[in-house]
Amino acid sequence: MEKKLENLQILVNHLTYHYPDGTIALKGINLNIYSGEIVGIMGKNGAGKSTLIKTFNGLLKPTTGTVYIENDEVNNVLMSKLTRKVGIVFQNPDLQLFANTVEDEIRFSLKNLNFTKTELENQINLTLEKFKLKKFQNRTPFTLSGGEKKRLAIASIMCRNPEIIVFDEPTIGQDAEGVEFIRNLIKEKHSEGKTIIIVTHDIEFAIDNIPRTILMADGLIIADGPTNKILSQDQILNIGSLISPQLIILSKFLIDSGIKVPDDVYLKENMIQFLGSFFKEKMEISEGGKF
Amino acid sequence: MSFEFMQAFKFIQMKTIIHNLDPRTKLLLAIIYSILAIMFEEIFILFFIFLTLFPFIFAGQLFKKWIKSIRGMAFLFLLLIIFNTLFSTFSKSISMIIRIMIMVSSFSLFFLTVHPDDLMLSLISLKVPYNIAFSFSLSFRFVPTIAIEAQNIIDAQKSRGYEMEQGGLISQAKNLIPLLIPLIVCSMKRAFHIAEALDSRAFGSTKNRTYYYSISYTKKDWLITVILIIFFIFGIIVKVFPVLLPDWLFWRFPV
Repeated sequence: MEKKLENLQILVNHLTYHYPDGTIALKGINLNIYSGEIVGIMGKNGAGKSTLIKTFNGLLKPTTGTVYIENDEVNNVLMSKLTRKVGIVFQNPDLQLFANTVEDEIRFSLKNLNFTKTELENQINLTLEKFKLKKFQNRTPFTLSGGEKKRLAIASIMCRNPEIIVFDEPTIGQDAEGVEFIRNLIKEKHSEGKTIIIVTHDIEFAIDNIPRTILMADGLIIADGPTNKILSQDQILNIGSLISPQLIILSKFLIDSGIKVPDDVYLKENMIQFLGSFFKEKMEISEGGKF
Repeated sequence: MSFEFMQAFKFIQMKTIIHNLDPRTKLLLAIIYSILAIMFEEIFILFFIFLTLFPFIFAGQLFKKWIKSIRGMAFLFLLLIIFNTLFSTFSKSISMIIRIMIMVSSFSLFFLTVHPDDLMLSLISLKVPYNIAFSFSLSFRFVPTIAIEAQNIIDAQKSRGYEMEQGGLISQAKNLIPLLIPLIVCSMKRAFHIAEALDSRAFGSTKNRTYYYSISYTKKDWLITVILIIFFIFGIIVKVFPVLLPDWLFWRFPV
């Protein structure tokens, strides 16, 4: 979707946040997030990433400044309304699993949404199937594996069908299959037009899946732009304690060696394609096909 | 719900006369004050004992935290007044409240100013076995961690529509389940992790271990110990020979 004023979904103005113990976590954040965007938030530990996302669904009230979620100022809206619009998936699923069965865990999330009984059962079944949890339906969530617990935690937010989905470190501790699942989920939700915000330290995941990145340091936003641009500027990377993704290092090396590369080789498929045609060309030049 | 009241029992490193005292001195203080508080039930005498705690509280720059912990007990005080007045006398309820304030204040003086490591060393110097002393200090070390975790659990549940409901006692208790179960599960998990970490560092492999840090009595400690003991002996004498005290100290409410 285009970055038009009417598509503006999250508007943050001069936001500051002070914790009760005196820590100043946010020092004046200005941010626009448009409907249907995928936005990454990166930065060191303690940069204020978690504090920022917690202001989106009303867990934390701004000390000064304003946060608008679709025309509603968070200070003036009930939290129950905000959590319906903004779903935050927290990093550690153990923090939220408590019910007797996997099914009840989903039911708890749907409790205050005014569903009729049949709608409720339908929604639970749909969610369980979609997240491949149907076979665990009557099992206690505590016997699930780490990846399954994570899926359940994500399912317990997704079943509420929020317009804005926030993932806090979705890939941490996940095996390849788990990461693939999250990657596909993000693609699917993006195609449904949802806004997706991802807090992450995983640069390889970010470069592949997140088009726009916000880099935070010390309670401020220090960079905001295309992920490949941000992750290729050494100065910015230093401040954010990040290192370049491997493909950006490789493409820089190629450019330094005098090879002309297209702009979008930071994506895996593009790099493979480029290197493939590059070597093919070389082979054809040298002795008509023999290397 | 906020876990701010936990702050009232959290040790923070500071450099005041009270913080620098030997933990055993402070433990002695807490014990002597508690015994004195139990010994007397006259309002004025208890109040006088209570007043003598203030120099320590101010010297340790603990007034704000102390107020917090007392405020946290306001509800308990209310219950005490109601029940004691119903089943006993109003006078008794007031002396009970001052008595509890003395005990809580003297022990919070101890916990607020003793580093968890020193707490362990002072227990060991009292011949408590190392295993028990260590787990005791470990559990204090984890109070703030658990408070942070509890806040994270509340955040996670609120994010999926959990609401702190008002209502009867049973529905409120039921409402705590989504918070308590994850808290217990996480704490148990952490306990197992700690046990593994301790095992992998050969915890308890030798009977007699040595200590890198040691605690020692200074002149200030001796001075305060002597004052405390004199105070204590004075208390006992007055208890045994109440005639030594003026009559107005024994005044009580007519009801």
